[in-house]
Amino acid sequence: MYNKKLVDNLTTGQSKLLSSRRRESFDLFQDLAQGDYKRINLVDYQFPEYSPYNKEYLKEKKSQNELLIKKMTDNLNNEDEILNYLDQFKDKKVEKGNQGLDPKYLSMAEAFYNTGLFIKAPENVDLKLPVEIFYQLDQENPVLIDNNLIVAEENSSLTIVFDYRMQDQNLEAFHNGLTRVIVKDNAVLNIVKVQRFNNQSDNFDSNISLVSNQGELNWIPIELGSRNSVTNNENTLMNDGSRASISSVYFADGDRKLDLGFKMNHQGRHSSSEIESKGVLKDRAQKVFRGDLYFQKGASQANGSEKEEVLLLDKTVNSDSIPALFYEEDNVEGEHAVSAGQIDEQRLFYLMSRGLTKAEAKQLMVEAAFNPIFDKIPLNDLKGSVINDIKTRIRS
Amino acid sequence: MSDKTEVNDIDRSLHEEKNVEKHRYQSAKGLTPAVIKEISREKDEPDWMLKFRLKALEIYKNKEVPTWGADISDLDMDNIITYVRPDADLQSDWDQVPEEIKDTFDALGIPEAEKESLAGVGAQYDSEVVYHNLKEEMVEQGVVYMDMENAVKQHEDLVKQHFMKLITPNDHKFSALHGAVWSGGSFVYVPAGVDVNIPLQSYFRQNAPGSGQFEHTLIILEEGANAHFIEGCSAPKYSVNNLHAGAVELFINKGAKLRYSTIENWSRNMYNLNTKRALVEEDGVIEWVSGSFGSKVSMLYPMSILKGARARAEFTGVTFAAEGQYLDTGAQVIHDAPNTTSTVNSRSIAKDGGHAYYRGLLKATKNAPGAKASVSCESLMLDNESKSDTLPIMKLQTDDIDIGHEAKVGRISEEAVFYLMSRGISEEEAKAMIVRGFVEPIASELPLEYAVELNNLINLELEGTIG
Repeated sequence: MYNKKLVDNLTTGQSKLLSSRRRESFDLFQDLAQGDYKRINLVDYQFPEYSPYNKEYLKEKKSQNELLIKKMTDNLNNEDEILNYLDQFKDKKVEKGNQGLDPKYLSMAEAFYNTGLFIKAPENVDLKLPVEIFYQLDQENPVLIDNNLIVAEENSSLTIVFDYRMQDQNLEAFHNGLTRVIVKDNAVLNIVKVQRFNNQSDNFDSNISLVSNQGELNWIPIELGSRNSVTNNENTLMNDGSRASISSVYFADGDRKLDLGFKMNHQGRHSSSEIESKGVLKDRAQKVFRGDLYFQKGASQANGSEKEEVLLLDKTVNSDSIPALFYEEDNVEGEHAVSAGQIDEQRLFYLMSRGLTKAEAKQLMVEAAFNPIFDKIPLNDLKGSVINDIKTRIRS
Repeated sequence: MSDKTEVNDIDRSLHEEKNVEKHRYQSAKGLTPAVIKEISREKDEPDWMLKFRLKALEIYKNKEVPTWGADISDLDMDNIITYVRPDADLQSDWDQVPEEIKDTFDALGIPEAEKESLAGVGAQYDSEVVYHNLKEEMVEQGVVYMDMENAVKQHEDLVKQHFMKLITPNDHKFSALHGAVWSGGSFVYVPAGVDVNIPLQSYFRQNAPGSGQFEHTLIILEEGANAHFIEGCSAPKYSVNNLHAGAVELFINKGAKLRYSTIENWSRNMYNLNTKRALVEEDGVIEWVSGSFGSKVSMLYPMSILKGARARAEFTGVTFAAEGQYLDTGAQVIHDAPNTTSTVNSRSIAKDGGHAYYRGLLKATKNAPGAKASVSCESLMLDNESKSDTLPIMKLQTDDIDIGHEAKVGRISEEAVFYLMSRGISEEEAKAMIVRGFVEPIASELPLEYAVELNNLINLELEGTIG
């Protein structure tokens, strides 16, 4: 199914260099055994049958004229430029672990992507309005494999919102994505990713970034859906003063399983990073949090922190936390903190003494925990619908 | 460039004196059922123990060497002489212990320590216990403190009931190896309600080149009993890689309390792959105090299984990794009963290219509502050649728990140094104070009975190399 024939199909009509990239990835894909995520019992996963994705997913706006936006699947005339950017990711592999998700998933996305955008903010462009990308899955388009490349050139600033969603509650859909990001000197890039697939669907997502001198990258991943959701977010802070942050929110109920991996790889001096994860587990939900801070030799005066807070609403939940600090450099500051537990009884009691029902009080406390991160969603409609979504699910 | 505080290595010459080898019996190199049978025959063991050893050997052969953690590919198992019996019979009177063995122990300060406060000394020279003594009043109260070999014969039922039940040969390759070739170690039994108010101390030491040490420690505390056991290790340095794969099994019954203190100070060519576990029943308490200073490679993760309601575990540990050392240590706590509590406090220091790795596990099962746990790991890197990693894994399977975790890695804060200097303290002394302060919470928990060795380890010689 995911064979050479399919690659041949996909490369028809695609530009030459990108096609050969696909083939290289396919060669790698072929030789690899399926990667397992044992902590959420995801073993020997079978990729569902391939299907093209034919819906429009970019919301065009006038202001975007300043940007360069291309579909990776098209026959592009600027593919040299794209390849050039992609090559920068070579040799940036962190000593420990994979780049992105398991290599099988990553090479699958690079060989068989059916969508994807190349977005570039040229030098000195400061874009006020966010770029909106809607990947919506339905009966006709149940498989999404997106390969995105986002580049913020020097002194540019840009916000991109990815909304992964679906209406159909019974459809078994599949997403395996890859988003590569380059943030050049002094650029600021914010990326919001909201994932709201139904509980029949599986979600896999790799996010890999390179941040240069004084560049700043802020991720806001919001994970609300899927039966299995495995995501990885790896950032390399290459130079002086590179900055990256991850503000993650998740809500898992029913039998949902989440495996969230966050990595900050400090190479540059004075580089700084922050990982913040807040989540709620309900019913029989399972979650794995992996947060890695690497301080490579030479990253002097770098600082990094990771903080995880998880609220457990039921006896039957399963919560794994694996925060790791790796130091090869002494002149750095790094710390992590984890707290896990039930909703504070006293606060709950106080709210109830003010006339709120237990469900309302719980909901209010969860909202209070999440709101600082939700405030970073630049689109009010999206923010509103995300908050509503959580409200109804907490009460049920 | 900022100045660095120089923390000197401990003077090891005292511990690395080695005696001329003198043995009555040395088993053939390598592991075969014949070797195991010979060990068992030499020890005059009951048949069930021989069967157990042979079964463990079978498991050992089929188990893979773990791929995570330390690189132990240098370890050539076929070249480790598994059993070395020293040229001395078991003694209970110090005067009868052979002179040269005594010299080594004297250098380590054992007899003096005993006179001061120790209830008994079970000193292990190579694989056999050569010296054993327990104050009479303890014997009268029914306390048993003897070498493992004799315990197998004299307290067969108790041993059979507990031996390798907590750590089984199936756990990992080195526990299987231990099951097959274990030799020496201590057996402690404290009857219900008895409070052993003086610490029990045993000293482990390796002397013969290429000899592995596989001592087994089994401690059983009956209901309401109270004891403090001290284990210390020091081995002379040899060119052949040495292996230590001991096992410590602690059974703490209802309301009993055990403090288990260890200073691991193996020489810098030792592979220390030790396994330690405690099973704690209702209202029982286990307190681990653990110092890891020596060895080339250590992989040591004492586990507390809180099986009874309100059981409690405390772990206090300090790891000091210097040049050429990879010390991979940490605490494991399993909360498996309601309202159990645990506290883990770990400090590590890395210098001169040493690699300190904290790897811990905290698990709360469905049976543990009301569990409370806190884990705190701090690391200090004294230079830029060293490595320090922290990996505390948490696994929560229920909601009604209160878990807190914190970890920090850093170097000596320049602001703190500056502040102290503004108070009239020299830079050198300021830095020394900060390092001492860093280890202090752990150091104060370590047993004082270790007079000589402990002072060497805790009194880190702090000297400035400023300028």
